Amino acid sequence: MNDPLPIPALLTGLQLTDSAFPSGYYTLSHGLEGYQQARAVSPRTLPALLHDLLRHGVGPADATALALAHRAVSSGDWDRLVAVERRLYATKLGREARQAAVRTGRQLLDLADEVYGTPEIGRYRELYRDGRVHGCQPVVAAAVHAGNGVPARQAVTCELFAFAASFVGAALRLRLTDHRRAQVVLHGAAPVIEEAVAAALHRELADLGGCTPMADVMAGRHERADARLFAS
Amino acid sequence: MHDPTQVRGSHHHDHDELVRRPGDGVLRVGIAGPVGSGKTALIEALVPVLIGRGRTPAVITNDIYTSEDAAHVRRTLDGVLDPDRIVGVETGACPHTAVRDDPTMNQAAADELTARFPAIDTLLFESGGDNLTLTFSPALVDLFLFVLDTAEGDKMPRKKGPGITECELLVINKIDIARYVRCDLGTMESDARTVRDGRPVVLTNSLTGEGLDTIADFLLAHPAATRREAAVPGAAAAQTVPA
Repeated sequence: MNDPLPIPALLTGLQLTDSAFPSGYYTLSHGLEGYQQARAVSPRTLPALLHDLLRHGVGPADATALALAHRAVSSGDWDRLVAVERRLYATKLGREARQAAVRTGRQLLDLADEVYGTPEIGRYRELYRDGRVHGCQPVVAAAVHAGNGVPARQAVTCELFAFAASFVGAALRLRLTDHRRAQVVLHGAAPVIEEAVAAALHRELADLGGCTPMADVMAGRHERADARLFAS
Repeated sequence: MHDPTQVRGSHHHDHDELVRRPGDGVLRVGIAGPVGSGKTALIEALVPVLIGRGRTPAVITNDIYTSEDAAHVRRTLDGVLDPDRIVGVETGACPHTAVRDDPTMNQAAADELTARFPAIDTLLFESGGDNLTLTFSPALVDLFLFVLDTAEGDKMPRKKGPGITECELLVINKIDIARYVRCDLGTMESDARTVRDGRPVVLTNSLTGEGLDTIADFLLAHPAATRREAAVPGAAAAQTVPA
């Protein structure tokens, strides 16, 4: 039987997207707190903001980088992976977004090496040690998922789900939703995630990068806010 | 013209468009605050006042580790409130999760209490002592109070935190000891009103009852306190007067 995702690989995907996995996502709002502080998002518009960020931000940027890097790892083209990460890092205009990407990426790299210890993670660590990569989370995740035998489509789906789950978790703590509606919002994002996954799998390196100018402005404001709960 | 990129310090925003829990005629009040600020003492002082106003309350405490709070409330309210109407909920080591992120066990406890005692019209949820970011889920309570005390220092309101800025009523407790702990009560109250954009603040001494009537007035003016008759016709007549 042709099983597209063997159980052991599926389990690693579930483990990595479990909110109990210490990825650092709990400290991130993915830009939401900036919108909330500016009162530019409400419980009613929350799903639309999530959809927009998936379609125009994290989908073209992080998810696309993951897909491209996964392809590079699977083909052993590590120079290509370096190029993907450099471009992803360059497209993250705001300081908070860059810091979030490398801080969560480095934590993932360190822990995944201990938990999974695959040759792919080992190779990425060498690149990181040599200063050729920053340790951006989506690219680290590509090496981890590829090493664990999770195909690119499923890997991108896992990471976009983790983003969406983290986003609604932040919304809950910001009182933009409650524990029941959060689950409705999360499930409601499923078609958008599916759409973003498909688009990410077909983008080329030259097209890597999101375009969310309002989110960039909000993130810039958030950097200077006099009080905040989240690191992004 | 409103600038959508303008950052404001307050986390307060309008939750009216949230789908709240279905109105069941029971006023549900959250009481939050740091460890030792006087949440339990406030509840112990508030329950008799509410009973005096004709309410039929029950209490759900979220103890961090022991059953100390629930036991203390039972002892203090012995003869005032049926001990079976005071229950404790374990929090899984995380007070804010139990009342905000996943309040299902608190809801279950509330459902069990109201099923067992249909006359209950007021539920007080005491959170475990936590930091200034604690808020209650709007799906669990109709409104929540946040309790600070003067011994924490008059700087506390300036630290803001969603608990202080988002709660419907901020309580500054232990006003009687302010002079002994070098707390400038005027500064503390003024700062509290400033960071809350003028929303209500009340000063209390739970041991003498000072400020408790103000809290009761505030709670009973809430729409959820007046929908009992609409939700449960004849409920008021069915209420029992505790011993």
